[in-house]
Amino acid sequence: MRRRQTGPADFACDPDAFEAFYRRHVDAVTRFLARRVDDPHTVADLTAEVFLAVLDSAHTYRPDRGSEIAWLYGVARNTVLAQRRRTARELRATSRIAGRRLLNTDDIARLEERVDAESPARLALEAMADLPDGDRALLELVAVDGLSPAEAAAALGIRQGTARVRLHRARRQVQRFPGVMELIGGAK
Amino acid sequence: MNDTFEDRLLAQLKAEIVAREARTRVPAVRRIARPRYLAGAAVAAAAVAAAVPLVVGGHTPAYALTKNPDGSINLKINEFRDPDQVERDLATMGVPADITYLPLGKRCADGRAPFVEGDRTSFAKKDLESRDPAVQARIRRATENLASSKAIRPENGITIHPEFIGPGQIVMIEVNENPVEPDTGHPGVAWQFSGRLAEGPVQPCRVVDDPTAFEIGNATPPPGS
Repeated sequence: MRRRQTGPADFACDPDAFEAFYRRHVDAVTRFLARRVDDPHTVADLTAEVFLAVLDSAHTYRPDRGSEIAWLYGVARNTVLAQRRRTARELRATSRIAGRRLLNTDDIARLEERVDAESPARLALEAMADLPDGDRALLELVAVDGLSPAEAAAALGIRQGTARVRLHRARRQVQRFPGVMELIGGAK
Repeated sequence: MNDTFEDRLLAQLKAEIVAREARTRVPAVRRIARPRYLAGAAVAAAAVAAAVPLVVGGHTPAYALTKNPDGSINLKINEFRDPDQVERDLATMGVPADITYLPLGKRCADGRAPFVEGDRTSFAKKDLESRDPAVQARIRRATENLASSKAIRPENGITIHPEFIGPGQIVMIEVNENPVEPDTGHPGVAWQFSGRLAEGPVQPCRVVDDPTAFEIGNATPPPGS
């Protein structure tokens, strides 16, 4: 969904503009996270982290360089990578908003469903684990998260030409891993 | 409103935005309210009053009654939602207090308790109503020297300095909180308080309208400052 873009500064400074941005993307963000972690509490913590990171780095968003979702997936990806470098305990201790404390039982059930729904994607991501980092990052964003190659390039801050080369290489390599193409829907 | 995790997270994030904006804004605008305890024409006692135009929303724990190393006592707004408890807590710290909690736009009628001697000033009514910046600055300086202003200060919420409370005097504080939380889109006073020392006893609060509470000014410092 591409809507009229508000300026980059707007959604970090103006609560109303932020609300619009948040509501456009919060589902996509929790799904993105549910493809990478399988625990609803961690999904909640990371959702809070991602949007706090949005406030920190909104000034880096340039509408002319890509869609909001591409930029946001870039932010989310960095947040997940940072989280993997830390333990969950550290994450909670340093976060300004503890996402999991905002959960009630209905939310947990809903996030569990979401985590379950994304289990094929998690399998696909696991299957790609052995690809070189740069190639894998592109394949993940395109084949699993559904970005276009151009958007994935914007999310990773690389040139579109570079992205195409890496994506091509990743697809070729991934064919050697049995079952991965089926998991990611092959045709993509 | 806050039905789901996503809604609750949004509320927290918006509070974070408001907090960040408030931190980057130059000094918090503080309004010295027109001393409304000034009932008589020439004999006047002023109240310490301050408005906080925009405080961070959010749902921080209610507790905030802290004793500072210099002996002063700090109070935070949330604490006032249970005024009786504040009075009890302050009493254990040796401070007799009368706390009233009202929505913004209401206040207690004048004349609840006698003024203390240290609050007496001698400004004429026309001075008090003057719009001349020099006169206003003179009144403000005089107001800052009143016993009440020394004992009850709009610092870091509200800070009480017990060393300026005379024997038998009571700290009388009225807090008015805006039921609608202001944000950058809807600026306004989040809460304000007024307070003064009183010679006991304090009469019950008779609630009256305070239309001036919704005048938010234009965020310029008071004249002469």
